[in-house]
Amino acid sequence: MGQLTTQVAWTSGDLLRQMQRRQNLFVLDVRNRDESERFPLEGPGLTAINVPYFEMLESGGKDDMIDSLVASIDRDLRRELPEDSPILAVCAKGNTSEFVMQALTRLGYNAGTLQGGMKAWGDYYDTQAIVDAGSLSFFQISRPARGCLSYIIASDLEAIVVDPLRHIHPYLDLARSRGLKISAVIDTHSHADHISGGRALAAATDAAYHLHPYDAIHPMDMLPATFLYEPLRDHQIFKVGQHELRVLHLPGHTLGLIGLILDDQYVLTGDSIFIRSIARPDLGGKAEAWAPLHTHSLRKLLELPGSMTVLPGHFSTLEEGDSSGQFQATLSDLKQKNESLAILQRESDAGFIEYLLGSLPKFMPQYVEIKRVNTGLAAPAEDDAATLELGKNVCGLAQSAALGDSR
Amino acid sequence: MSVTFDKVFDARGMNCPMPLVNARKEIGKLDTGQVLKVMATDRGSVADFQGWAKVAKNVELVAQETENADGTSIYVHYVKRTA
Repeated sequence: MGQLTTQVAWTSGDLLRQMQRRQNLFVLDVRNRDESERFPLEGPGLTAINVPYFEMLESGGKDDMIDSLVASIDRDLRRELPEDSPILAVCAKGNTSEFVMQALTRLGYNAGTLQGGMKAWGDYYDTQAIVDAGSLSFFQISRPARGCLSYIIASDLEAIVVDPLRHIHPYLDLARSRGLKISAVIDTHSHADHISGGRALAAATDAAYHLHPYDAIHPMDMLPATFLYEPLRDHQIFKVGQHELRVLHLPGHTLGLIGLILDDQYVLTGDSIFIRSIARPDLGGKAEAWAPLHTHSLRKLLELPGSMTVLPGHFSTLEEGDSSGQFQATLSDLKQKNESLAILQRESDAGFIEYLLGSLPKFMPQYVEIKRVNTGLAAPAEDDAATLELGKNVCGLAQSAALGDSR
Repeated sequence: MSVTFDKVFDARGMNCPMPLVNARKEIGKLDTGQVLKVMATDRGSVADFQGWAKVAKNVELVAQETENADGTSIYVHYVKRTA
């Protein structure tokens, strides 16, 4: 038997690697239209079309399901489907897409199915080593479908976890496999777009949970957190083995946002500077009041040495990652390439604030509730938590191309 | 909610696409004007039945509701054969 040249069952990891390599992939998304719009599968090299499976069944009109799918694809989709590149069938949980793959295969297409569907892709975590040499092991753990980034900084078998995401198994697994003791869990801020795994991870590892006190109050409800935490303060130092993390208070996206400087070489910027964008100042509902603080904090970051590597809390598209799938860039690089930072450098404070307030993307209503969860004011069940987090984060400012202006 | 129905199709425990695929067959067995009550545990069936009813011929989604049975959510769809 010859080597298999095509995959039939794709894992979420296979899909991510395909996108990191920017290889062409055609996606046939058979979910209903609402779900497909709210949580589209998109990324480098992907071309996706959405044809709900029940529309195929009706169009096919046969008694047998596969026969119906075959008839429908043959009649309605022939012109759209590529004959020379793979077609990945995708659905919500990976069952329906398997039947669609069978139908495609019967028609002679090079077809695959995404195992576990968009549920699995949405919950997939990728771990990348930023540094793993000498006394420092520094990992970036991403949830690619949501554009969320978190970090583990480890030295001498001790580890600090920054911004752990809702599922805590990637952090526990990594700590276990490396024999690390998690000594502190830090949230750079109270997140609006995703449910923090911070308290759960701290509880599971007997570590302290650290948060800036300004972010322990829900900015809209004005209600305090219902849990105990260690209050972070500006310039506070965390030791981890032979290395040092310094807290930098950066109010703007939230009042209690902090960055963390590792050994004067790396800066974890949380939701302030991203690779292609910057954070929005309006998720607390106080854009006018917070935009000047945000401006000041961003200027403070620009004063750091240009050789420092920025490691952000989010990305908007997988294109922002490098070819190995890491999201990082030097500050001097970003000063040149990041459009918002270019505007910050040439505008006055007033001009920049005007730019900020004119570049706010749509406010996501569920973000108010997610902040309640992160303040301990609500505790959704798994299904509801997943629904709250559905889709990509919208923590960054809109880019000028998206706004259609000619700034 | 009290919706009158003529037949029940139990799709509990079935994964997508089976609740819809099988309910579709069951509706074909009804007389015009009759209503099928479909019980499913697959949460995705709620949006799928809505989307399907929009494109399916001779089918009307009369109502949907969620029942709670010992902590498990049952998603109920009432589907009428209209012709």
